[in-house]
Amino acid sequence: MSNTNAGQTKLFKYIEAPLLELGGITQLVKSFFSELRTKPFYFNLLIEQIYFIGVKSLPLILITAISSGMVLALQYGLGLEKFGGKPYVPRLVASSILREMGPVFTGLMIAARVGAGIASEIGSMVVTQQIDAMRALGTSPIKRIVIPRILACLIALPILVAVCAVIGNIGGLIVGQYELGLDSAFYFRRVMETSNLKDYIAGMGKAVFFSLFISIPACYYGLNVKNGTKEVGLATTKAVVAGSLLIFVGDFFLTKLFWIIEKWL
Amino acid sequence: MAVIEIKDFKKSFGTKQVHDGVNFTVNKGECLGLVGGSGAGKSVILRSLIGLEKADSGSIIINSIDITRMSENNLIEIRKKVAYVFQNGALFDSMTVFDNLAYSLRAHTKMTHDQMDKKISDQLDEFGLLSAKKLYPSELSGGMQKRVGLARAIMMDPDVILYDEPTAGLDPYNTLKIQELILRLKAKKVTSILVTHDMPTGIAVCDRFVFLQNKVISENGTTQELLGQPNSLVNQFIKGQIV
Repeated sequence: MSNTNAGQTKLFKYIEAPLLELGGITQLVKSFFSELRTKPFYFNLLIEQIYFIGVKSLPLILITAISSGMVLALQYGLGLEKFGGKPYVPRLVASSILREMGPVFTGLMIAARVGAGIASEIGSMVVTQQIDAMRALGTSPIKRIVIPRILACLIALPILVAVCAVIGNIGGLIVGQYELGLDSAFYFRRVMETSNLKDYIAGMGKAVFFSLFISIPACYYGLNVKNGTKEVGLATTKAVVAGSLLIFVGDFFLTKLFWIIEKWL
Repeated sequence: MAVIEIKDFKKSFGTKQVHDGVNFTVNKGECLGLVGGSGAGKSVILRSLIGLEKADSGSIIINSIDITRMSENNLIEIRKKVAYVFQNGALFDSMTVFDNLAYSLRAHTKMTHDQMDKKISDQLDEFGLLSAKKLYPSELSGGMQKRVGLARAIMMDPDVILYDEPTAGLDPYNTLKIQELILRLKAKKVTSILVTHDMPTGIAVCDRFVFLQNKVISENGTTQELLGQPNSLVNQFIKGQIV
């Protein structure tokens, strides 16, 4: 009997923790929207965060984009060569980067770099009572900390995804010309002719969702650090894991969603 | 007239009850010493007085306004007039001393940069910190950080100041500096509560003490009364006979 009770208690704890986190994140989202509508709006803090999230992440995204573009072109080229399908490489690379690889790889890189940064920065501020000080001085941490970071992610990530698409295709073009023997003008023309608005909508749409998947859990875990510096590390790990998992799992459902939307267009 | 009233205040963290019906008042211009052993929940009371913690039951009344169940937005007005001095200063480490002091002025006033600069420079001069104006918190000593924390807290000219162990970990020189600053603010008739283990400072600045023990206020009296009674809890606490 007592074993059953202990088992139930353990099970309850397993269920309780994720439900509490879900409730906390919902509460944070609610506060984000309600405080977004009221003054003041800290524009300078938003610019600061766009610089940190967008500009500072650029080198990382450039390397990721060019590498994945080159690898994709090489794999498609070598695979399709035996079927005489090399001319299809530009279209396949462009479509893959615009729809999938661009948003997903950029999202994962930003989750690792920015998600971790946001969670550890906010967590450290909680531990050193800076968040309490903000509240004690009559200001809102949601306005000063959460809103600029979420909005900056919403602005910077789609731009980074666009940069990733351009650079990834340039990587594909380089491999197409030097490894697969495709004419660069032909490659460029094929990319331009075959890529369409629907590819861009799917890629950018995903980027918007991914920016929320990264920034909201990162802010939540950072703000909920309770027991000193050890938890800052834990919050950072949780933020990166949650962001990455949401990107992977969400990508499937978003792909389906954008296919449905494209059918209407 | 009571500026702060705590009535039947109860607070728990999980299954651990910290307060079970705390009652006391602080009158206008009075400095109250809130003392008790480590972990008795003194800081929790202080944090609750500014809404950083929520009471489970009971009420907290400041300037005749019940703040117990006030929303964060409504608490902003209260927090403009009730200052909290954090134990470690809690300075914003990404900002200079000037920006730390300008923080609440920028948030709540329409002062020009020049007006702000004058007010902050005067404040820093009074606190002996003028040379630290452009420094970051990491470039300051512990004592200086605490003084900057105190200077930042009073930028909005508050009616009430809550001190959370302002002299903890400081050398005698810096302790004396903080003591002088508290006495200077007291002379301006600011109501205050001082949470401290540093009894010489408490005795020097407090008009009255309340002793927190076993989740309630076990003793309440003026400094003279309590020091005059050899068996008072405050006296026993000073002698290290109770924790």
